[in-house]
Amino acid sequence: MGSAGLASLNYCVTALLFDGSNSDKQKEKSMDPDAVAKAFVDHYYSTFDANRAGLANLYQEGSMLTFEGQKIQGSQSIVAKLTSLPFQQCKHNISTVDCQPSGAGGVLVFVSGTLQLAGEQHALKFSQMFHLMPTPQGSFYVLNDIFRLNYA
Amino acid sequence: MDPDAVAKAFVEHYYSTFDANRAGLANLYQEGSMLTFEGQKIQGSQSIVAKLTSLPFQQCKHNITTVDCQPSGSGGMLVFVSGNLQLAGEQHALKFSQ
Repeated sequence: MGSAGLASLNYCVTALLFDGSNSDKQKEKSMDPDAVAKAFVDHYYSTFDANRAGLANLYQEGSMLTFEGQKIQGSQSIVAKLTSLPFQQCKHNISTVDCQPSGAGGVLVFVSGTLQLAGEQHALKFSQMFHLMPTPQGSFYVLNDIFRLNYA
Repeated sequence: MDPDAVAKAFVEHYYSTFDANRAGLANLYQEGSMLTFEGQKIQGSQSIVAKLTSLPFQQCKHNITTVDCQPSGSGGMLVFVSGNLQLAGEQHALKFSQ
């Protein structure tokens, strides 16, 4: 996804959160965790598959990633890990997305699916959990990220 | 408190209670607790335990393969579990993540 695509998705997520109306009903509707989760998942995996370095603005200094048991902290280190994974091209196919409000204005997102690496015959199954927290600008960043491959 | 130690203790307690006596899970949930079980959303300890005790099997055994945890902000903790679930009488175990 190019920067224009990212900008328009950021607009969509922002539009979900701030529609200019002051009514509580409107605010409740626009903070719908399911909508936030779906928008985030679409954006995260399409960015991962097109340009992993583009994930940097989804993490902050206090963000944590546990990747197959390895613990990594901070946007820089997290993106360094993801961009150094030993494959060039990949495609995530998402099977399930579950979400719940996490308290403190956050959203928990639980994803399962498969990961197809270019040149590999069989897709890998994975599960991933994200804890999204709101930013002052009205979007979300990833505070917690846990990734596991699911083996037989 | 070491988050890894808390996570490990919780996981052992949760699944051994689940496998021995599902009703005993009630005190792990509160009124504001949420369970999403295979896509079905349930809220509150009473409803959650009603769902778990009504699952269509008598005996089961959870075998835990991986446990990951992270502090979640506001003093909370995220615990991410994967493993398999063996139902009595079934030939193949079911794989799960929680």
